[in-house]
Amino acid sequence: MIADEIEKLKSEIWQEFENIDSLSELNNFRIKYIGKKGVITSYLKKLKDLTLEEKKRLGKELNQLKADIETRLKQKEKEILFKEEDKEVGLDLTLPGRRVFLGAIHPLSQIIDELCAIFSRLGFEIVTGPEIETEYYNFTALNIPDWHPARDMQATFYLKNGAILRTHTSPMQIRTMLERVPPLRIIAPGKVYRCDADVRHSPMFHQIEGLMVDREVSFSDLKGILTYFAKETFGEKTKVRFRPSYFPFTEPSVEMDIGCVICNSKGCRVCSYTGWLEILGAGMVHPEVFKAVNYDTEIWQGFAFGLGIERIAMIKYGIDDIRLFFENHLYFLESFK
Amino acid sequence: MRVPISWLSEFIDLKGSPEEIAEILTMGGIEVGSIEDPYENLGELVAVKILEVLEPEELKEIALCKVTDGKEVYTVITTAKDQVKPGLVLGLVKPGSTTFTFQKIEIKHIKKYQSYGMFLSPYEAGIGEEKDKLLILPEDAPLGESIYKILGISETVLELEITPNRGDVLSILGAARELHTLTSWELKPIKFEDYLKAGNKFKGKIEIEDKDGCFRYAGRFFANVKVQESPFHIQKKLWLCGLRPINNIVDITNYVLLEFGQPLHAFDWNKIKDHTIVIRKAKIGEKLLMLDGIEREFTEEDLVIADAEKPMVLAGIMGGEDSGVSEETAHIFLESAWFNPKRIRKSSQRHRITTESSYRFERGIDPEGVILGLLRASELILEIAKAEKFSEIMDLYPKPYIAPQILLSQKKLSKYLGFSIPLEEVENTLNKIGWVRRSEGSFEVIPYSYRQDLKIPEDLIEEVARIYGYEKIPTTYPKAVLYAKAPLDIINLENKVKNVLKSLGFFQIITYSFIDPKSLEKLNLSHDDPRKNLIEIANPIASTQSVMRTTLVPGLLETACFNLFREVNSLKIFEIGKVFFPTEDVLAYEPMHLGILLMGNNTEEIWYEEPRKFDIYDLKGYLEEFFEILKIPIQFKPYSSEPFLKKGVSFDLILNNSKIGFAGEVKNLILKEFDLKTNVLLAEIDLEPVLKQWEEVFKVKKPPKYPSTFRDVTCILKREIKIGDILEFIKSLSVLYLEKVKCIKIYEGPPIPEDEKSVSLRFWYRAPDRTLTDEEVNEIQEDLAKKIFIKFSAKPR
Ligand SMILES: [Zn+2]
Repeated sequence: MIADEIEKLKSEIWQEFENIDSLSELNNFRIKYIGKKGVITSYLKKLKDLTLEEKKRLGKELNQLKADIETRLKQKEKEILFKEEDKEVGLDLTLPGRRVFLGAIHPLSQIIDELCAIFSRLGFEIVTGPEIETEYYNFTALNIPDWHPARDMQATFYLKNGAILRTHTSPMQIRTMLERVPPLRIIAPGKVYRCDADVRHSPMFHQIEGLMVDREVSFSDLKGILTYFAKETFGEKTKVRFRPSYFPFTEPSVEMDIGCVICNSKGCRVCSYTGWLEILGAGMVHPEVFKAVNYDTEIWQGFAFGLGIERIAMIKYGIDDIRLFFENHLYFLESFK
Repeated sequence: MRVPISWLSEFIDLKGSPEEIAEILTMGGIEVGSIEDPYENLGELVAVKILEVLEPEELKEIALCKVTDGKEVYTVITTAKDQVKPGLVLGLVKPGSTTFTFQKIEIKHIKKYQSYGMFLSPYEAGIGEEKDKLLILPEDAPLGESIYKILGISETVLELEITPNRGDVLSILGAARELHTLTSWELKPIKFEDYLKAGNKFKGKIEIEDKDGCFRYAGRFFANVKVQESPFHIQKKLWLCGLRPINNIVDITNYVLLEFGQPLHAFDWNKIKDHTIVIRKAKIGEKLLMLDGIEREFTEEDLVIADAEKPMVLAGIMGGEDSGVSEETAHIFLESAWFNPKRIRKSSQRHRITTESSYRFERGIDPEGVILGLLRASELILEIAKAEKFSEIMDLYPKPYIAPQILLSQKKLSKYLGFSIPLEEVENTLNKIGWVRRSEGSFEVIPYSYRQDLKIPEDLIEEVARIYGYEKIPTTYPKAVLYAKAPLDIINLENKVKNVLKSLGFFQIITYSFIDPKSLEKLNLSHDDPRKNLIEIANPIASTQSVMRTTLVPGLLETACFNLFREVNSLKIFEIGKVFFPTEDVLAYEPMHLGILLMGNNTEEIWYEEPRKFDIYDLKGYLEEFFEILKIPIQFKPYSSEPFLKKGVSFDLILNNSKIGFAGEVKNLILKEFDLKTNVLLAEIDLEPVLKQWEEVFKVKKPPKYPSTFRDVTCILKREIKIGDILEFIKSLSVLYLEKVKCIKIYEGPPIPEDEKSVSLRFWYRAPDRTLTDEEVNEIQEDLAKKIFIKFSAKPR
């Protein structure tokens, strides 16, 4: 009789167990069945009238049941607690988060750092020098005597004491060569100044000068180094071309163009419909320059190059007004985060 | 230099399209900037049909024509009354366009009538001599179409950008020679009739007194020339090259200048005193009223062409008004010379005149071209100006030009280029620029007289390379000795500074190194402030950019202002750059400075946060973090004496007992000067002393082994007592186990008396070798608190 009842009880218990959905239901269930005054306890009490053998068998069964309930209740409790945390009302997550804002390094500074990194990988070291220069370093030592029409290529700011604002970073060639003995590979980034201002020209702008002097460095090598630079800066597929040009401090002289990245060399306003963009000037160091620094041209030869940072930044970022760089409007600067 | 293809083809057998020619020249080092049709550039010169001709009563001399260009109807006023009738198709130049005669056309009003443009004569259209007749187009010409398209007229002009070393290409002949060098297309021979070389005896006197200034002086006399307008074909060629016609004699000199690159000068023979021509240094104080209407005073360095009395021409640059050719001129003397380029350049610079002539002399002309140019001009003067007689050629050439002999070894060529070009090819190339003698492994080259830019073997290497083609030279990597060097400290520091400030939310700005001296006045700097010791630019673009900056403050404030006027109310920016101070030397002292500016609020208005104005503690906080990252033991010394900062909210920044900068809130009066209507804080730091002390070292802290405990103390103090003084005092006591102290709360207001404040301090204690007991800590803390209370007359709260 009682054994049947226990069987029935079991099925009742597990059925009810399935319906538990909250911590309070779970508690009630616990009290109802396995509490001190619970159903199972009352059954255990009922066992005392049975035979010893039955008492033992059913007692064990009931205790096992109690243990099972406890185990499963623990499990159930965990499940409910897990679900409980998901029941909280969702927030308005369409609101923006609490931002912490990073600043930005100026785009010209970024380009300089990028180019310095490229040339550093090629084994060039970075040097710096004065922005206020003498005519000797800026012109004369670079084979541009004062009567030379090439001085017209660079409108110069003069200072009242006779010094000038350097018109290019090329004086760093002279300064470095006077200070060191070859071989050497340097780049010199910095500000330079020229006396004109419009959409394309700023009275102050930035250049990077490069110089390599060694025993065998040749014109082919110059092409190699500059081609590498162009491809790393503007992409592996960038086309380059080299045109003869003229700078008093290099011979032979060359200008490097890259295929216009704006129109894909099809021709546009930026490239004057030529499909090419002029990027830099370069050449083999002129013997007069080596003479000015007492380098023996029988042993040493070298190449030099100079490139305009603003020009590269304008091409890279598609900027058509150089003045944006020096107005420093926040919206502009924010684009370079 | 403008080169019309049609003119070019008189000198060379062109075997390519203008585009191909442009490509060849560009890749040969003569950059072609543009390819243009000057007819097209005139604008809208189109065919129109006359619909109706009206003759207004009040204006007898004109006809009012209603015309159509196929789309719209316009009225055009013309004085050629008898030439217009309905149905006629004419050429109209529309307003905004230009004629061949350099006339810019605008809408014109006569009484109540308006003329939309002008009917063209063939001359005004630039297609023929006729001036008095209107250009009549075929009846079936498409209306609105360009008259040049209808008539099949076009010209192509290349704009060459010639580098300063290639003066020899500043002419049509020069461009032809260059093309020949680059392509081997045949040059057409230049020949002159023998009689041009002879002539009557020259009756004047020529003397070169300054042989350093004038290397060669040639000339000849022409009798009874007719000075008048040039024929159309001469005018057209000048027009194609962008020059205005003046009279036939002047036009011829310009023509030869363009064609052969030889500048010429024509004198009115009767104005030459004693018919004596002296090429000499100017005398101090000598003056000349020149063709541009300006009287100039010469110095001894100027070279002049003078007669027996006075200078007539500033040699190679510009003539005087008196001695020039005019309508009344009967006889002329024509000069063709070769002047010292350096002397011409110096004079041209000194007097700020650049002419077609000085431009060419400066860049070096062909010594042999002197006679060639004179012959060419003679030919034209006889033909066009109908000179009746002419003299022999006078040619004073005291020291004839000797071209250099340049030795180029095959070895050097290969070493320089990094590869070898076959000897035959090298020789063929060199043959184009001079006379070549080939010997064992080397070439001896004497460049042609017009290639005076070629002086040294390296010049020849460039010629070989460019004629061979830069594109064909291989691309290799250098073989070099491997060496490396650590980056300069200043570069590391700059990068560190930029990155730290970027992480703190600052934007780097770059402003001009030159500033407005007035901006320093605005900052109210005292007259003996070293920042007022300025380096001035002699030729600034504007007075607002006329001195080199000695502080970054103006640039920061102006940038703030620029932003404030353009929707940016809050800003966190910094600049890192040089400032400039004069020294005993020519060069300046150029220390690297860092400037920082905060403007407006710490955040925009946003749902989760109440914006608050940036204040001095924001700035101090950023600087503390900045210097801590740099491991620079900076001291913030309250109350800077910078005149533009509010004293009570400013610091001097001290490193090793000397001031290296300042930080603080900008005075309202200064903000007003800079048009800034909001709060601004700024700091400026000299990075040079920072650089000296800066090292990338790390003190690594390990996690603690034993726990710390803390105790709080809240006390009431007089308001004027500085927290820093209390912390200093605690530090001076060297309290055992005390790890750190922080001020965690300050309260002023009721119920605290008005002149007092409540301050809470938190003390952390830790022993390195064990866990401290409460009793121990309490004992230390109580003792310490007592000392503080006594020292600062504080009361417990
Ligand atoms: Zn393009």
